[in-house]
Amino acid sequence: MTSPRLLVGGALLLAGVAVLAIGFGSVAIAPGDVISILARQLFGVGEAAQGAGATSIVMELRLPRILAAILVGAALAVAGGAFQSLLRNPLADPYVLGTSSGAALGAAIAILLPIGGVAWELGGVQLAAFLGALASVGLVWRVAGIGSGEERIASVLLVGYAVASLLAAALSLVMLASGANLRAIFSFLLGGLDGATWPRLAAAALPLIAATTLLALRGRALAGFLLGDEAAQHLGVDVQRERRIAVALASLATAAAVALAGLIGFVGLVVPHLVRLAVGPDPRAVLPLSAIGGALLLLLADTIARSIGVPVGVITALIGAPFLLWLLHRARTGYAL
Amino acid sequence: MSTEFAMQIDPSYELIGARNVRVEIGGKLILDEINLKIGVGERVAIVGANGAGKTSLLRALSGTLPVASGEVILCTEPLGGLSRATIARSIAVVGADLMLPFATRADELVALGRLPHGRGPSGPTAHDRERAAAALERVGASHLAARDVRTLSAGEKQLIAIALGLAQETPILALDEPTVHLDLKHRVEIADLLVSLADRARTVVAIFHEIDMVRQLFPRVILMKSGRIVADGSPESVLTAARIADAWGIPQERAARL
Repeated sequence: MTSPRLLVGGALLLAGVAVLAIGFGSVAIAPGDVISILARQLFGVGEAAQGAGATSIVMELRLPRILAAILVGAALAVAGGAFQSLLRNPLADPYVLGTSSGAALGAAIAILLPIGGVAWELGGVQLAAFLGALASVGLVWRVAGIGSGEERIASVLLVGYAVASLLAAALSLVMLASGANLRAIFSFLLGGLDGATWPRLAAAALPLIAATTLLALRGRALAGFLLGDEAAQHLGVDVQRERRIAVALASLATAAAVALAGLIGFVGLVVPHLVRLAVGPDPRAVLPLSAIGGALLLLLADTIARSIGVPVGVITALIGAPFLLWLLHRARTGYAL
Repeated sequence: MSTEFAMQIDPSYELIGARNVRVEIGGKLILDEINLKIGVGERVAIVGANGAGKTSLLRALSGTLPVASGEVILCTEPLGGLSRATIARSIAVVGADLMLPFATRADELVALGRLPHGRGPSGPTAHDRERAAAALERVGASHLAARDVRTLSAGEKQLIAIALGLAQETPILALDEPTVHLDLKHRVEIADLLVSLADRARTVVAIFHEIDMVRQLFPRVILMKSGRIVADGSPESVLTAARIADAWGIPQERAARL
């Protein structure tokens, strides 16, 4: 009842923040000018009142980056919310579960392979990231015994942590062995939207938008999982099928996000919890609102990041890590989140 | 809706049926030679020692445990051919324990019972919320609607779990040990509620450990041992000292005093 209104309000807020973020930077552009540039360039509406410089800054430099932040933030938050519902685990997200690391390793291997060409750069990297994400999910799934009815929250997290660490180490080794410099490894591991140009955005946009949207619309099936696999079946959910679909979509969304922006942690963990505090745990409300919330958080974090010149992953970690600590503290003291 | 119609015109309507059902898990025999027929408005208790196959029987009858051979019937149709959603509109299964990963209001939880009645991505409709509120009221738990289920007592949680099953609006309500871990007051409360819930439109099937309570409240008792149904009938005919002694492995003179 309240969630459609929240969704519309959130989307309007996001649009407003996006306009402000586009105007923000070393060359400041007034929100009104941003809007008229966008209206003219995207929809052919209005007069050319602004200079070519401002138009070029908006269209070539800032708009792709802002769109990338929105899409990546939405994808990570929806994937995190879906993993949390599916695993009934408040601490699950693509980063914690090793899915992001798997995607990063896949993407890095694809980037470093001596294969050139636009098609490879646009499609091959995405595909390798997806395969890496699926492989890491599969590994965590198998070792932690998910779906057997035996899984425990601690073991899923420990296995995810071990897999993520292993994959991060493998990623470093791959990049060192290939001769890529340490700075490139460092910035990839920290995540960033500096490389979000139109061609790269175009390559990632379809899987990002498709996987995020389809996943955000699967809340009905995921709602059943809140009470466990057995109860989900009793509520009419085809558990095996829905689990496969949700994992595939969450992995695809994560992979596309990682291929575009590297490893950005905590968005997928924090945002769904903030949404749950507002609207309760039903994924039918949580997932669409997490898309808006994740987009907002990453957009704000990236705007801060570019104003002080640090990778966006540092900002999301600065916001997210204390939140994670608070979450763990509350879990330990038994206070209901 | 044809289900309700058939139930009203035909008292012999086969709500639940099992014909020679056999279930194996990993080569181990779990259920064997299960034959039963449960009709409209019955109140059936399933009893037996731990490991006798009571929960497995409920799982086989609700399609969450695949049968190796034989056939399960749900609302006169072979269960094997029904979708999960169709099954969920026919039988609601109330589990032994409510464990929730996130803070969840009781009314939000009970509204999940409406899942099999809807489609698409939208959340609970006004009708769903109304049915959930009615289910909460039916179990006498309206005052708990805004509480986080995780902070409720065991007895209160059980009421919410039953309300969740009622919100599914199924002709069959099945419960797995609804009175386990409860004190006497809540045990009596839940037992009386179950008796009042069984009527022409709703059959209640429940697993119990308390034989005295079953004797008083359930007109039909199914006794299980080692994956088989060893007796099925009135409490007087099923819960004899000899059968109790055999099923639970206790001396007959001791069983006579239960």
